[in-house]
Amino acid sequence: MPKNITIFTTSTCSYCPMVKRYLKTKGLPYNEVNLEDHPERQDEVFKASGAMTVPITIVTKQDNTQEVVIGFNLQKLAPAIA
Amino acid sequence: MDQTQTVEGRGSEKLPHDLVIVGAGPAALSAALYTSREDIETLLFEKGAIGGLAAVTDWVDNYPGFEKGISGLELSEQMRKQAERFGAKIELGEVQKIEDQGKLKKLTTTEGDIYAKTVLIATGSEYKKIGVSGEDEYYARGVHYCATCDGAFFRDKKLVVIGGGNSAAQESIFLTKFASHIDMLVRSSLKASDVLIKELVKHKDKITIHLNTTTDAIVGQDGKVTKVIGTDKNSGQKVEFPTDGVFVFVGLLPNTKFTEDSGVELDERGFIKTDIHLMTRVAGIFCAGDVRSGATLQIASATGEGATAALMIREYLETQERGPLPQPVVGHPQLY
Ligand SMILES: Cc1cc2nc3c(=O)[nH]c(=O)nc-3n(C[C@H](O)[C@H](O)[C@H](O)COP(=O)(O)OP(=O)(O)OC[C@H]3O[C@@H](n4cnc5c(N)ncnc54)[C@H](O)[C@@H]3O)c2cc1C
Repeated sequence: MPKNITIFTTSTCSYCPMVKRYLKTKGLPYNEVNLEDHPERQDEVFKASGAMTVPITIVTKQDNTQEVVIGFNLQKLAPAIA
Repeated sequence: MDQTQTVEGRGSEKLPHDLVIVGAGPAALSAALYTSREDIETLLFEKGAIGGLAAVTDWVDNYPGFEKGISGLELSEQMRKQAERFGAKIELGEVQKIEDQGKLKKLTTTEGDIYAKTVLIATGSEYKKIGVSGEDEYYARGVHYCATCDGAFFRDKKLVVIGGGNSAAQESIFLTKFASHIDMLVRSSLKASDVLIKELVKHKDKITIHLNTTTDAIVGQDGKVTKVIGTDKNSGQKVEFPTDGVFVFVGLLPNTKFTEDSGVELDERGFIKTDIHLMTRVAGIFCAGDVRSGATLQIASATGEGATAALMIREYLETQERGPLPQPVVGHPQLY
């Protein structure tokens, strides 16, 4: 199980609830950061992902390595949380 | 139909699903509401957002029952909950192939192979790319296709919107919430509805429309988009639009790749042909919504088609239990 999962979202993004739904079906807890409430964290998201989009999911593994998943991309998200 | 069965344990060759719906947009959710309410065991597969393109639409003003309009995301949530209330199950994954095996249909999915007595294809369409240099290079880093997802990254920034149809107009108006100014590049003339054109005019302080303007290249520096280069077709002159980001809305492509070896017939634009019962050329495979040839590309019509398909599927399943497979209506102008 990953050490931490953080999802960066906005309230109008339709793919954000999909990532949350997927993690819920896998029984994995996550933190959510809504960028509308925390615009100061946009740069952090861009630095981590190189992307200006949401959802961005940052998975921190037990060995502290991180995987960044851009969008609702099951091919990337499934192995990242495995 | 197995009225007592739940989805769990279903999907094998021995115990196939009554119905698998490919997609979970408005057409699919409406069909699922009808079928599951009639105890037709129903599983939906969704590879993107539940609610489909409706979910990525900022505001929907023309879906009946909502006097003041409703956000696309909220409408999608309501549709999902209503379908799930009657027992429809939604699996997150992609259908990659459909194989017609007569009474059974085999579906290859990212979650494994499953079998179904009937299939409803309700996969809608997705945004076309424009195909100019810089588009792939800056994908999601300055070139975007979903305003409700990525608009917030462009607060007080300059934007270029490419396209002149309903989506381009609607999304430009939405993007004025964030952008300081929008240049809208329209290859020929505006093709948006009168209502949307009036709305665009109301936002003329923020949106400048450039008709007869092609988009030739998206240019950037240090990993960021800096300008769009186009051609003014009236003068033949090159034109440049300094910008922080580009949103592309130049039409939609039907999601039909997975039907390639299924026997389902497509029209010359790649949309799926059906008969009057919304059955495709393959008995037991139905189609509804934006992906269907001749569809009118609205949420209300997609849900209407979903409901119609559901009733036709019920009839098909009932007839199939009694005798030979009901066949598509030969001679229907859409099909043959
Ligand atoms: C910007 C924009 C604004 C719009 N505004 C309005 C409006 O105001 N009013 C209105 O009535 N209509 C509007 N529309 C049109 C409306 O959104 C569509 O007509 C409607 O969503 C079509 O529904 P559908 O179920 O046929 O397809 P879609 O909504 O496209 O849903 C299809 C779903 O199938 C999924 N899918 C595709 N392939 C697969 C696969 N192989 N496996 C699993 N899942 C798959 C997709 O991810 C998608 O979620 C708008 C469209 C756009 C783009």
